Amino acid sequence: MKHLTPLNAKAQQYSEAAEEGREEEVVAMNSMVGCTTSFDPGWEIDAFGGIGNLCQPMEADLYGCADPCWWPAQVPDTMGTYPNWSDAASNVEQDWRQLQSVFPKAKG
Amino acid sequence: MLARMTATAIAALLLAGPAAARDYLLVPARPDKLVIVDAEAMKVDKVIRLENAGPLPGLPVVNKDGTRAYVLMNGLESIAFVDLESGETIRRIEMSTADERVKGMFGMDLSPDGKTLAVYQSPVRMLVDEFQVQPTRIAFYDAETGELKSTAEVPRQITLIAWSKDGSKIYGMGRKMHVFDAAGRMIEERPIHDWETERYSQPDVLDVWSQFEQSGVMVSPFYAARKDLPADDPTAFRTGILTQDLESGDMRMQEVEVADIFYFSMAASPTDKDRIYGAYNFLSSFDMGSSKPVKRVPLPHSYYSVNVSSDGRTVWLGGALSDVAAYDAETLERKGEVRMPDGASISLASVRMFTRGD
Repeated sequence: MKHLTPLNAKAQQYSEAAEEGREEEVVAMNSMVGCTTSFDPGWEIDAFGGIGNLCQPMEADLYGCADPCWWPAQVPDTMGTYPNWSDAASNVEQDWRQLQSVFPKAKG
Repeated sequence: MLARMTATAIAALLLAGPAAARDYLLVPARPDKLVIVDAEAMKVDKVIRLENAGPLPGLPVVNKDGTRAYVLMNGLESIAFVDLESGETIRRIEMSTADERVKGMFGMDLSPDGKTLAVYQSPVRMLVDEFQVQPTRIAFYDAETGELKSTAEVPRQITLIAWSKDGSKIYGMGRKMHVFDAAGRMIEERPIHDWETERYSQPDVLDVWSQFEQSGVMVSPFYAARKDLPADDPTAFRTGILTQDLESGDMRMQEVEVADIFYFSMAASPTDKDRIYGAYNFLSSFDMGSSKPVKRVPLPHSYYSVNVSSDGRTVWLGGALSDVAAYDAETLERKGEVRMPDGASISLASVRMFTRGD
């Protein structure tokens, strides 16, 4: 490995794992990675094409979608990746403005 | 003097008659609260704070005499044993280890004899560069010492688990109703996804709310399209109700109405197992005997969960926002509500009911 320099996060992990003798654990991504494979619509429009069967008000459903990692694209996943996302907003009806966008941490 | 006091005390007890049992609700609220609500007085009785419980203590299970709760929390990775009278956490189980992340995915129940806590677990090995999904299992913990007694590999996609009333079986609601013996060995499977395939499309079932303690019946709404109707018929999609009786073992799935609205969860009345209540943006009552809706009222906001008082006269709604609301079980008129301290959201938690003597 002397003459190779890792260029991305995966290569960096491989280098570190090789030093620990755990390179077998580093594998190529071959399946969907994440907490859920549920990408069904539901935040913007209900199953009938309207909005009457969405949660009322929409704030009522924020944590119901965040806690079980149900819609991780629309609402950060508090079950695994962003457990502290709602810390400043226990009262979601009043404090929802404290809920911020999230960004993946830089790797490598 | 002592004898006289004792005699007086006995006389007072005799005059008072047997201790009246009262209904209480146990309401989890963000990020670390267990709120005990006196259902009759409609007021908060006690607020218990848990350590490292967030973002929400999701599923409490209360023992028979209402003195202890087992609480699945901390991102569904820990279980606290909580004394409901002192408010103290007396024990804590950390299901995850350094190498393995273990989530208790919504299913946890206490055996009827109070000795064994069964938890549905989804383990993942956390390797250097890979999350290695492990077989799902039911873990059996000693309900006193917290010691892990055994585990049994069980199918994936189970959400709720519930012991039968006699303690001989465990029901796991998933793509099928899986019936296990008390050690977690599968003894029977009953169709849910493949229920009446000639007449209906695959039923859509999602139930993550444990609220069967009052009636002894697991109840879940489901949705399926009728195959005998044209696909573009707006009445083709139907709402159904699935019931699993934890006493008799009977399981039923029945169509009850055209699916013009949704229900997130349902519960049966403890005094009439055929009377079912469903909640979300509306509160509805149904009669399983005739497979018909009885009454429906709009709600001021969405409620995820529903439970019913011991006398069958009051329906309690909870979840999503920060109040539990009481409705008359017959007329569905709103009687009142109890707000959580600081407006803390109940979110996805199961709102449990228990009874305790005064």
